[in-house]
Amino acid sequence: MIDVHDLSKTFVKDGREVRVLQDISLTMNEGEFVAIMAPSGMGKSTFLNILGCLDKPTAGSYILDGVPVHGMNDDELSQIRNKKIGFVFQSFHLLPRMSAWENVILPLIYSDGDGDMGSAAEKVLGAVGLGDRINHLPRELSGGQQQRVAIARALVNNPRIILADEPTGNLDSASGQEVMGIFRRLHREGTTLVVVTHDPEVAQQADRIIEMKDGRIFRDHPTTGSGGGGVQ
Amino acid sequence: MRMINAGRQALGAMLENKTRTTLMMLGVIIGVATLTMIASAVLGARAQVMGQVEKWGLDQIMILAGSGRKPGVPQPVPTTLKVDDAQTMLSEIDNIKEVSPQINKRDFPMKYGANSTYGVLISGNPNWASVWNTHPETGRFFTEEDAGKLARVAVIGRTIQRDLLESEDPVGKKILVGNNPFEVIGVLEPKGTAATGIDLDSRVVIPLSTAQKRVFNQDYLFMIKAVLHDPVKMSETVNDVRELLRERHNLRAGMEDDFTIVTPTQVMNLASKLSSTFSLFLLLVSGISLIVGAVVIANIMFIAVNERRSEIGIRRAVGARKKDVLLQFLLEAVLVSMSGGVIGILMGLVGLKILAQFLKVPGLIMWAPVAIAFASAVVVGLLAGIHPAKRAANLDPIEALR
Repeated sequence: MIDVHDLSKTFVKDGREVRVLQDISLTMNEGEFVAIMAPSGMGKSTFLNILGCLDKPTAGSYILDGVPVHGMNDDELSQIRNKKIGFVFQSFHLLPRMSAWENVILPLIYSDGDGDMGSAAEKVLGAVGLGDRINHLPRELSGGQQQRVAIARALVNNPRIILADEPTGNLDSASGQEVMGIFRRLHREGTTLVVVTHDPEVAQQADRIIEMKDGRIFRDHPTTGSGGGGVQ
Repeated sequence: MRMINAGRQALGAMLENKTRTTLMMLGVIIGVATLTMIASAVLGARAQVMGQVEKWGLDQIMILAGSGRKPGVPQPVPTTLKVDDAQTMLSEIDNIKEVSPQINKRDFPMKYGANSTYGVLISGNPNWASVWNTHPETGRFFTEEDAGKLARVAVIGRTIQRDLLESEDPVGKKILVGNNPFEVIGVLEPKGTAATGIDLDSRVVIPLSTAQKRVFNQDYLFMIKAVLHDPVKMSETVNDVRELLRERHNLRAGMEDDFTIVTPTQVMNLASKLSSTFSLFLLLVSGISLIVGAVVIANIMFIAVNERRSEIGIRRAVGARKKDVLLQFLLEAVLVSMSGGVIGILMGLVGLKILAQFLKVPGLIMWAPVAIAFASAVVVGLLAGIHPAKRAANLDPIEALR
């Protein structure tokens, strides 16, 4: 599903080169639920952005779903994001003046399919338990509900992989549990999930935990009691 | 499909912030409104002049007393142009079919009982009605007999009838023209407002002979209108008239004409020259407001792009390409200025109607300036929107999401 080889990312900051990611290689299988843990500022967000095709590696290769994406141009990467990737962010990132439904159809606007956008959006909103909230604005919803709208948006285009960046970071524990419940269900249904977190409880719910430090993978191990993990 | 969606998204953004949208439209509204209003007024007035020239005939010339005169512009009148000049023109120049010697006075006081007003006093011969193609709708025009006995009779326009006589039966009433009592014998058919702004229905026509002997005590004329047999020979006839009058007025070579010959072509040329000068000026005015409008739109769009970074980031993350973002913001700018254009056109047309009332110019709607105004609004939106839209499209999605 995901095949990363010798991946590096370098930023130039104040005239100095900063290596954020160094020679990362790993493989994730279809249907895997992977947690990435790292202290803040240790490159995990950059790694997630590269996995999500929002950012490009400085060196190395990234093969997503059999397609090498490291050399793609901006338009091609946009298409990949649209078709194959669903993002879930820590701060939800919903458009404040649009209803839950309008937020959810957003990815469909940018895909060329001509299916019924409206019913697709209603279906995924129903799947995250918000079938009765489709016309609510984000500010009329609780944090947990907003994050579930964001998950519905990530799901609406049937992506190959869901990438979540601290999805429970802004939620109380009950809402966090709800969100993780949805992730576990998606996992059971076969969705590939990558969750960046520094909450060990969240990480424990994955199949496999990848720990990063100083821009490198420093531990990669299956969680206790979970099924098989694709160790590289 | 993407285009429709981009339009829908842009429309949504436009309606979300109405105050800002209004502010953005303002410059365009003003520019387009002035363009619509003034261009329509000028072109309309010009079309009317042309229409009138054609209506009163391309077979006529006017000889105005004094040199360098322009029709409709008041100026002291020399005393050299006489009735005999008109009679001689008629008898000696073959191509002249009819002449109408006249004394015209603007703003002449008229009175009836307690009512008073000002009108245009025209003193002419009995052929005035046919030469000017203005006939009485009630009563009659004066005759050779009236003129011969210096009768104090007057044919009045509708405005005068309304202002002085109100609803009374006009025929037979005695009105005061200046201080002289005149009997109203007819009312002229309505002719509306001339391109020069004169209300043609405020005319009072009396016999020239009566006017010369009993009102003004003068033997000189204000103008002569001449009708030609063959309009094709107009320039030759103009030359004949000039030679004849110079001879009769004892003007030696090198001396300036003491009269001005106006041909329909000259009037038309004057009208188009006046309107093109004016058009240039108004083009400048509305051009400046449109530029200001474009600057305002561009600035507010830049602010909007900055404020909506996170929205741009979200859209990019879910698959919007750079060109999708570009299109969205560009459409927003175009939609705003286009709506400003539509509002401006509507306001301009309302303004035109009001202007027409005040200035007594024709309130004809000219579609060419309306189309140009609309097109310039669209261009303003494109020009103003392209840079902010490019900035929005080129935002780094990661930065935008932070």
